[in-house]
Amino acid sequence: MKRSAALIAMLAAATVLAGCSGTDSAPPARALNIATMTLPQSLDPNDANGSALPFFQAVYDTLVKREPDGRYSPMLASEWKFSDDQTELALTLRADVKFDDGTPFTAQAVKANMERFRKGGGAQAKTLDDVKAIEVVDDTHVTLKLSQPNSAMLYYLSDAAGLMANPADFAKGEALKTRPNGTGPYELDQSQTVIGTKWVFNRAKGYWGAKLPYDTITISYFDNETAIVNGVKTGQVNAALIQEADQQISVEGHPNVKTTKQDFDFQGILLFDRAGAVTPELGDPRVRQALNHAIDRETMLAKIRQGRGTVTSQVFGPATSAYKPELDTYYTFDQNKARDLLKAAGHADGFTLKLPRIPAIVSEALAASLQTDLAAVGVKLVWDDVDQGSAVQRIFRDRAFSGMVMNMGQSSTDWVVVGELVLPGAFNMFGYTDDTVKRLLPTIQSKPAAAAKADLQALNEHLVKDGWFLPFYRMTYLHVSDGTVTIAPQDGMAVPSIYNYAPAG
Amino acid sequence: MLSFILRRIAAGVALLFVISLLSYTLLSIPHIDVGRQLLGQGAPQDLVDAKNAALGLDRPAMVQYLDWLANAVRGDFGTSWFTSENVLRAIANRLPVTLSLMIGVTLVTAVLSFLLGVWAGVRRGAVDRFVQVFAVVGYALPGFLVTLVIVLVFAVRLGWFPAIGYVGPSQSFTGWLSTVTLPIVSLSVGSIAGVAQQVRGSVIDVMRQDYVRTLRARGLPPWRIVFVHVVRNASAPALAVLGMQFVGLLGGAVLVEQIFGLPGIGSMTVTYTTRGDIPIIMALVMFSVIGVILINLVVDVLIGWLNPKARIA
Repeated sequence: MKRSAALIAMLAAATVLAGCSGTDSAPPARALNIATMTLPQSLDPNDANGSALPFFQAVYDTLVKREPDGRYSPMLASEWKFSDDQTELALTLRADVKFDDGTPFTAQAVKANMERFRKGGGAQAKTLDDVKAIEVVDDTHVTLKLSQPNSAMLYYLSDAAGLMANPADFAKGEALKTRPNGTGPYELDQSQTVIGTKWVFNRAKGYWGAKLPYDTITISYFDNETAIVNGVKTGQVNAALIQEADQQISVEGHPNVKTTKQDFDFQGILLFDRAGAVTPELGDPRVRQALNHAIDRETMLAKIRQGRGTVTSQVFGPATSAYKPELDTYYTFDQNKARDLLKAAGHADGFTLKLPRIPAIVSEALAASLQTDLAAVGVKLVWDDVDQGSAVQRIFRDRAFSGMVMNMGQSSTDWVVVGELVLPGAFNMFGYTDDTVKRLLPTIQSKPAAAAKADLQALNEHLVKDGWFLPFYRMTYLHVSDGTVTIAPQDGMAVPSIYNYAPAG
Repeated sequence: MLSFILRRIAAGVALLFVISLLSYTLLSIPHIDVGRQLLGQGAPQDLVDAKNAALGLDRPAMVQYLDWLANAVRGDFGTSWFTSENVLRAIANRLPVTLSLMIGVTLVTAVLSFLLGVWAGVRRGAVDRFVQVFAVVGYALPGFLVTLVIVLVFAVRLGWFPAIGYVGPSQSFTGWLSTVTLPIVSLSVGSIAGVAQQVRGSVIDVMRQDYVRTLRARGLPPWRIVFVHVVRNASAPALAVLGMQFVGLLGGAVLVEQIFGLPGIGSMTVTYTTRGDIPIIMALVMFSVIGVILINLVVDVLIGWLNPKARIA
């Protein structure tokens, strides 16, 4: 009986404690607890990528800062200037910045970082492909010599490629992977951090820049949105991004929760095979147009995303210069037109289109909806159900498919979009191009996006009309907070930058 | 007894070797393109190939296995491909979370299921029917449903307990208790139901034995008959079930850890397995097998201690 008495005592204690659990687990006044579903591969800038960027921003500064609205402002570089032919970028660096060990941040550090990043084999290493040479002028001046104009260069310098680590650590094997060493606003608290679970960053003493409002930032990893949503409702999580429509609805109704919407990823089929290497029918633009007319975007958005998003026929997002609002509704749901186009292309009896199905991206509902819509115009969509690992191998290495359904982040930098989707590369794996694209790209490449607006819009219009892609909709994501934090969505990123959080009220 | 334990340990080592070989082979079959997973879908193929080569994944699976085995025998389980964390440290960080749950649930289950089972088996009648209904309902309710309802009611709505997260007992004992209570309750429902049924059945069997009648006839007080003689003899099968439940908890913990956002071994297994992080998965498999071997050994020794006849078998 002793054991049951102990148990009753334990349960009673737990009940009593529950009342004060709020004070036990509540973060200190100036602490921010962010929940994420992104695991950074390491904290070495070479491994920085996509939604993991906030982990890096806490401990490293970038050369250029990207503001929430996409403008560039000074950070480690106080000024920059492109040469007239856009092939040289001269950077002036701050002279008062030191790494944690007191080593001054200089032009030599920039050169060492960028050369290491280029050769580091990380996901973003390719962003410095156009950097031919990095020339140190003096301690505070460095010039990037480009092999060709690249209007996304400032974007890259405000992203992974611009993160500056202490070169003293480059020779220390894999030290930076778990012990970051930069000039950033915070330092990793090794004693509180459990890699893979939570990372705790404390304010760096003597940070050269403007103080961020929080003394401590904790980024916790979760593998599902249910836990995050519960954490936000109970105030254990201060800020998070919620992507699933059902979870968004569940969190919105809670009285403590504040939300901010952001349209970021678009979902659609990336058709790689425009030359018809795998599926010969796709070589005809009329077939690609027919596919675009065959799908019912409005219903898909309403049923699959519960209306949380905007239908679109273009891959450029509203923040780009290439964006044209009218192209969002260019392809109307018109199955008769789709059948006519297929007939005109000589495929009145239809054809078979085989696509890989990665369940994490293509839900049952989406798979069935696309199959039904395409079947109605005679196109037999066959899903190749493969696990994610094998699918990726077959898509990118074997080039076994003509396209795939993707969720793609919509960068606000036009040239980033062009680089990812139009130029030969992973998402244009067959290296397809055409005369219009060939004609427009050189002028777009050599000018800032605002100056190349007409050409960018012409390019976008051409990609839409020629059916290069089969976009469905831009998805609305929800930035949620427990009411204590104001979150500014970050242009060009699904997750906000570390600088975009402020105490509410 | 000592030779029995030694034989079991030797068999366990052999089992570890066989399972490690099988696991590595199975993990190598899907050909998960780790380089592509690490670098993202937009990465150029040559970069992906270079990454795979850097990780040694371009070598035959058997060579990779032997390399892994040679290091593992020396206690070096490497670093995670996906988070660069030391594998042993990663597991050591998460083990206390899952062990808290497993030990907590086993203690709660042991106490409550024995009380319920003995109560039902001895008293029978309405009490028995009540326990039976509880057992059936408890067993039939889907674990995830119980967990979700518990978290929504006691954490989100009433705010009595934290909805997510884990606090180590060394950091704050009260914090630890408040973070593990709801997960333990969620996992215990099905567990108690299963073991209580087993205890009830065994108690009824033992109560029908001749020696119990003899004890009664000799005028021993009923509580003494039940708690000294019946329970001791009825515990062996229940203990076996409890041991199996303990092992099975590792599976049940996956869901509970995910819903409560607990950084334990269960949720870790899911996260790293879907990514194909072989260093972490192999270490998890090895430690799980060691755990299962040890638990079975402890249960067998306990049963032998309770019931000397079992030692012969």
